[in-house]
Amino acid sequence: MTVAVDAPIVTEQRTKAPVGRLLRSELRFMIRRPRTLVALGVLAVAPVIAAIAMSVATTTAQNGNGGPAVESVASLVSGNGLILPVFLLLLSLAMLLPMLGAMWSADALAGESQTGALRGLLLAPVGRLRLLAVKAFGVAVLSLLAVVIVAVVSIVAGLAILGGDGMLTMSGNVLPFGESLGRIALLAALVTVQVWAVAAVALAISAATDHPLVVLASTLGGIIVFTILGNIPALDWLHPVLLTDAWESLGDVIRDPMPTDGMVNSVLRAVCYLVIGYSLALARISTKDG
Amino acid sequence: MNSRKTALSFAAAGTAAGVVGLVVLATPAGAGEAPPALPPVSAEALVESVLNTDAIPALTGSVAVENNLGLPIPGMPASSGEGDSIQVWSDGTGKGRLALAGGRSETTIVDDGATVWVWDSAERSVTKVPHQGGVADKPVEGKFADPAAAAKELVTAMQQDSTVSVDGTARVAERPVYQLVLAPKPTEKTLLREIRVSVDSELRIPLQLEVLANGQSDPAVKVGFTEFSSGAQDPKLFQFTPPAGTTVSEKDVPEEMHGEAVDDWLSQADLKTVGRGWDIVATGKVPAEALTAAEGMSERGGQDMFALLGTFGKEVHGDFGTGYVISASVGTAVITEDGKVAVGAVPEQVVLDAVKTVR
Repeated sequence: MTVAVDAPIVTEQRTKAPVGRLLRSELRFMIRRPRTLVALGVLAVAPVIAAIAMSVATTTAQNGNGGPAVESVASLVSGNGLILPVFLLLLSLAMLLPMLGAMWSADALAGESQTGALRGLLLAPVGRLRLLAVKAFGVAVLSLLAVVIVAVVSIVAGLAILGGDGMLTMSGNVLPFGESLGRIALLAALVTVQVWAVAAVALAISAATDHPLVVLASTLGGIIVFTILGNIPALDWLHPVLLTDAWESLGDVIRDPMPTDGMVNSVLRAVCYLVIGYSLALARISTKDG
Repeated sequence: MNSRKTALSFAAAGTAAGVVGLVVLATPAGAGEAPPALPPVSAEALVESVLNTDAIPALTGSVAVENNLGLPIPGMPASSGEGDSIQVWSDGTGKGRLALAGGRSETTIVDDGATVWVWDSAERSVTKVPHQGGVADKPVEGKFADPAAAAKELVTAMQQDSTVSVDGTARVAERPVYQLVLAPKPTEKTLLREIRVSVDSELRIPLQLEVLANGQSDPAVKVGFTEFSSGAQDPKLFQFTPPAGTTVSEKDVPEEMHGEAVDDWLSQADLKTVGRGWDIVATGKVPAEALTAAEGMSERGGQDMFALLGTFGKEVHGDFGTGYVISASVGTAVITEDGKVAVGAVPEQVVLDAVKTVR
């Protein structure tokens, strides 16, 4: 009788490694990939280039040589460095950050499936849910890291190159330094949730294919299609369902008083996509043969 | 395997929950809600109570403008411009704030009681307009000094050509409203079907205005609150300090408006009205200089203006010469080659008759 009870306990102990160690090793594994390092490096350099470009463009615009488009953006940026993180976060949310999220999702399952590493994991006595959770965690942390890098570097670059000690909002008043940082942190959190939603859908595709390129192409293709659909007025009944359609409302963080309706809606929409993405990924990975 | 089944049912439930969540988010709030039960009120009493509300109370809200005229109106966003919204604040003592949010810019107008500040984020500029004590407003206020009499007068005047009624209740911006409906009498020749004003049942201020044209199910023009809440507002909202590094320009708009140039223009325009009630048509003449100025720039410039009108409208000939008719769902305008103009919420024939009276 004691033997019969003991046996399952032994297998359980063997299957469950400490969660902390698992997550740490997954993260270390992902971060050490050269493409991850290159991508994060590009994210860190881009704000500096943008800050220099903006400061040059502003000088040109003040001399009357810039086009109207440059002037409308530059007019707020000039001497207002804390607005740079907002512009850059919104700009990179349009394409760069979703692409990175999709890339890491593609590597997490499809990439490992391609090299055969996933087969070993599927055969091992590891819960599929647990496997997916560790993979999703790695993607989510890296996405957060990417957003934080953009935000922090552009805050520093903006303050150093463009100057300013408060944030001149779109509504024409100046927010104190602390509140400005709060607004940037809020935007960073909102952008992260959106990238998580894209990455979750990419993870579902990643679970269904052996080719990482398919994941990347279909996720980016999906974003482009969503953006196009969002620009067709005749389809306005469809717009509240599109993930990308809510992104424009994130720019509301630089209005004062801050309208929150659009942001709350964008988060709820992202959570729906997140739940759908993870559910489909779970469905696919739990039916996948070893 | 059992765990696989559990995982699959979890996944199915999660997917379903996500899809349902998206559908719920996409469903407009209050759709299919029964109209609120409110005590019945007569049209006269409703108009009286609206006139009785002397000042706009402290409130905040978003205003949406929908325009299905089939013609672009300058300064009025088309209904497709969903990114644009108007946010309003009022403190109840005459101070106000208006934020016109575009996709990447914002225009904020702050009235702090003494000065009106106009901030334009795209230009990063501030325009300052000092108050003129509201001289022009006084006579109108005097006329409405006795709301009961004014309401009676107003409703009687309206009843000559229209039927005024309270058409049940509805909800605007999640607030119960009475719907005051003004419809032209059948003898009227107007293109309009009705004008619908939604009056807040508690505060008695209009929350929404709809103009409906014949043969259109959607309102041609709809201006109203999509969000509304009354109550004290943060006094900081009604102050404005031009931020450092902005260009501040001062403008004296009221003086300019009543300036000689405008007066001259108005007397030259020879504005008159033809007809009455719903069939009223405004007629006038575009000053000769405006036409010659357009032609003076280049020979082709003047021709191009009429060519442009030709693409918008329809060419007509008659006693008045050659003209162009521009039709929208709520009205018709005609402009002739010698500068006569007639505009009204009426069919083409009525406008053409009116333009013949212009000398």
